[in-house]
Amino acid sequence: MSRRISRATFLKGLLGCSAALAAGKIALDSVDDQPKFPCRILGPSMDVGHKIRDLEFRNAKVESPALDKKLVIIGGGVAGLSAAWWLRRNGFTDFALLELEKSVGGNSSSGANDVSSYPWGAHYVPLANEESTIVKTLFEELGIISGIDPSGLPLYNDLYMCHDPEERLFKDGTFQEGLIPRRGLQRKDKEEVNRFFALMGTYRQLRGNDGKRAFAIPLELSSQDAELLALDNISMEEWMKTNNFSTRPLKWYIDYCCRDDYGSSPQNVSAWAGIHYFAGRNGKAANAETNSVVTWPNGNGFLIDQLKSMLQQFVRTDAAVIRLEKNEAGRLSTTFYDTKKHSLGLYSSEFCICATPRFLAQHIMADPPSLDSSALVYGPWLVANITLKMMTASKGVGLAWDNVRYGSPSLGYVVATHQNITTRKNAPTVITYYYPLAQDDPLKARQSLTKIDTDEWSKRIVEDLEKMNPGIGRQIVSMDLWPWGHGMIRPSVGFIWGEARKKMQQPAGKVFFAHSDMSGISNFEEAQYRGVEAAKMVLAGAGIR
Amino acid sequence: MTYALLITAFVISTCGLIYELIAGTVASYLLGDSVTQFSTVIGVYLFSMGIGSFLSRYVDKEIIRTFVQVEMLVGLVGGCSAALLFLSFEHVENFRILLYSIVTIIGILVGLEIPLLMRILKDRLEFKELVSQVFTFDYVGALLASLLFPLLLVPYLGLVRSSFLFGILNAAVSIWTLQLFRNDLKNLLVLRAMAVAVALVLTGGFIFSDQLMTVAETSSYQEPIIFSKSSPYQRIVITCKGKEVRLFLNGNLQFNSRDEYRYHEALVHPAMASLKDPQDILVLGGGDGMAVRELLKYPAVKSITLVDLDPQITDLFKNKGLLAQLNNNALVDPRVKIINQDAFVWLRGSAEKFDCAIIDFPDPSNFSLGKLYSDTFYRAVKRALKPEGIAVIQSTSPYVAKNSYWCVVNTLKSVGFQTKPYHVYVPSFGDWGYVIASNRPFVAAENYPAGLRYVSRESLVQMLIFPPDMMPTEQCINKLNNQKLVHLFESEWSEYVETY
Repeated sequence: MSRRISRATFLKGLLGCSAALAAGKIALDSVDDQPKFPCRILGPSMDVGHKIRDLEFRNAKVESPALDKKLVIIGGGVAGLSAAWWLRRNGFTDFALLELEKSVGGNSSSGANDVSSYPWGAHYVPLANEESTIVKTLFEELGIISGIDPSGLPLYNDLYMCHDPEERLFKDGTFQEGLIPRRGLQRKDKEEVNRFFALMGTYRQLRGNDGKRAFAIPLELSSQDAELLALDNISMEEWMKTNNFSTRPLKWYIDYCCRDDYGSSPQNVSAWAGIHYFAGRNGKAANAETNSVVTWPNGNGFLIDQLKSMLQQFVRTDAAVIRLEKNEAGRLSTTFYDTKKHSLGLYSSEFCICATPRFLAQHIMADPPSLDSSALVYGPWLVANITLKMMTASKGVGLAWDNVRYGSPSLGYVVATHQNITTRKNAPTVITYYYPLAQDDPLKARQSLTKIDTDEWSKRIVEDLEKMNPGIGRQIVSMDLWPWGHGMIRPSVGFIWGEARKKMQQPAGKVFFAHSDMSGISNFEEAQYRGVEAAKMVLAGAGIR
Repeated sequence: MTYALLITAFVISTCGLIYELIAGTVASYLLGDSVTQFSTVIGVYLFSMGIGSFLSRYVDKEIIRTFVQVEMLVGLVGGCSAALLFLSFEHVENFRILLYSIVTIIGILVGLEIPLLMRILKDRLEFKELVSQVFTFDYVGALLASLLFPLLLVPYLGLVRSSFLFGILNAAVSIWTLQLFRNDLKNLLVLRAMAVAVALVLTGGFIFSDQLMTVAETSSYQEPIIFSKSSPYQRIVITCKGKEVRLFLNGNLQFNSRDEYRYHEALVHPAMASLKDPQDILVLGGGDGMAVRELLKYPAVKSITLVDLDPQITDLFKNKGLLAQLNNNALVDPRVKIINQDAFVWLRGSAEKFDCAIIDFPDPSNFSLGKLYSDTFYRAVKRALKPEGIAVIQSTSPYVAKNSYWCVVNTLKSVGFQTKPYHVYVPSFGDWGYVIASNRPFVAAENYPAGLRYVSRESLVQMLIFPPDMMPTEQCINKLNNQKLVHLFESEWSEYVETY
């Protein structure tokens, strides 16, 4: 044996030790039995949709006589329900609302189990802006706004406003308060973060040369100042570069926000939309700060439930509209497939509000208006609802409503039981995990989503969660996955203030369109606005008011 | 063999640094102030290594045997160090003495290792080679340890397991060394048996470390435990020593039978005695029945509705002889109706009106409890009171957490209550605060039920005085969407606990 140890031998030894340690760790990990729990795929009825797309029903004949209504509303998401809500408020009741699924709700659908109810999509609404008058009207009607304080500010129902702590961010091994990275930043990072939010504060107050807010909610009410609209022609990423925003923490945050609100990345989101996220919300309350939101265990499913109970008599579920055309008498005829009875039915009406996503409208209508369908880009999403025996501990500040991990491809999780007023410790809970497939080509991502592999997804989700809450895997009772193929419209560069979207607003004869696609931004306020606008056109057409 | 021994240097230096880091981290966890803990632990450790190196000169014979024995000892002491520190924290008078003793012992032993190893190697290598090789391995091991510790060990294994794991490595080194020198050693079998025994003990510790830590938690009561049970809502522990019965929920003292009369008399009588005809009473929290016992001293009382989340608690204090004695069998009184439900949920669903509401929740130490101190909650309380009704709220210590205390007062004011803050000294708790909330100005009673041991017309006058050190430095209102009270409470109590 040589007395000297060569460098190679030494390095080999070091490598050997590292390998042994790594092997030890792997062995230890495999001893920790992989969590086992049932994992189901739920989700929207894609078959019927695809059948419509593939024209399978084209030559089907309807046996039963047509039902006569003044108006048929196709689609029971927020837009369709809001149209119905507005019509009923104004005394117009001669209509039917047809919904493809077992229940209304669309992107605001929700579910429930023994532990809690939980959202399958949209899960909050920010305080209503001054110009968001219809949101305020609805909030007042539902008691979400319970009064006005002496200074004229709305008083929100405390139980509905998101309870503190609202948000936390897992970064550098520990949770910090809020989602904006604040801890462990270098001075340059900090200065940039502050400069960014100061600028957004300016945009929030800014008015264009026509005196309108630069970024309003609904966005149709925004200023048409050409200088501001020009922001729609560059990407958020370009805008960041031009304005010298380059530090990683800020870039991560902007990326997170674009994925959160638009299911897309900053290079594919227009700067106008990107800024709207920060500058649009300006709602005030007597008893909350401007950035507050209202939320419920089942997310916006609460709003759906309220609207549903008001509109029960008009709603027909399990009714997949397969064709909308003009008949010989010049009336509109709506053919639908009853997915429960497996039979076809027919409505005859003077007006129609097509409150489905716009790409679907193109398939349903016999004679659709021309539309550049390449302009409509939809981001696919995966939402998981995970029932836990109990929430496990985590480092840093305590559990919040919205819990996000820095650098994760997901958006983290929201706690359904956060708004509960119980004091049970270590109680079972449900968390909703959001995963936008933001980076990928939407078509490819959608395909991977339809061929979804539960084992792979649940493994990926548990891995992500374990980083924030070690040991959470073993607390999982069940996991339900909900793939949203066409989750949300993406406000791509040039879409919001471009020609395609302008054209989408035009009615086709007595067919009016209503969907947040027509805003280019998918949220409650936009969907509601589109629904109410369509309802107003119907009321005008019918000579009411 | 040289190579094998150098690997040994590498392993022992890794282990040595890990023990140092573990001691520093445990001390920071348990004592706070990580800068002080780390710097004193490192200082003591390095100094002890110096002592070890110095002592190595006195090892003249049987260097290999001594080295093996040192390894076993380092493994045993170092491997058990984290568990030992955690387990003993509650029990030893001066934790720091124990901490630095352990650090010193490990330091001395680790200090012995390298000199001994170098002497074992001295005939196999030239001096310059020896020094260079041994220290290279030593320092590389240190780097590996310092990276492994925060990145892998603490997050994946935790402190207790990590410490056992590295103890096992030390034991393995001793077994390996025995193997290398199997021909040079006497009593090989005995040494081997010892080394294996050490390894087994440590492996046992590694496997059962979770159970060990549970013991650490439950053994933190000083008096004999006469009852302990985990309900779905909390861990209930009752201890008894002599005539003193103590109730702990989740480790927090709820009452001590020696002085609880002060707490409960002060909670109930100032409000109750001020009412002309208190008939319908609401008690929120207070499942131990002590407040109900005080309430039953008023003949006018017709009904008492007790809302407490945990049926285990109310059953215990209703049926268990010793405990029911403490509340004078108050909970079996026909006027008492027990409802086991969340107070907030129940209150929102109830349309009953009360003359007096006694609110005795645990302190607002977490966000779900914080909701029971919110303006929204107090609005619900206000709705549940008759126009002449009055509520009283236990509201933590105005001495320890003055801003928290006044935050409760302000929150009550913000929903339109008139408030009357007062406080009492309860030896087991310290100076404790309450607030009376009413729709009409509060007028203190002239007369109190007979037989009270603390509350009287004269003592109430005292209770209403707040000296300057109990006055707030900031004012706020606790709401569901700001949880100000929980944030305040956390900072004020942790400051207090750190200081004392």
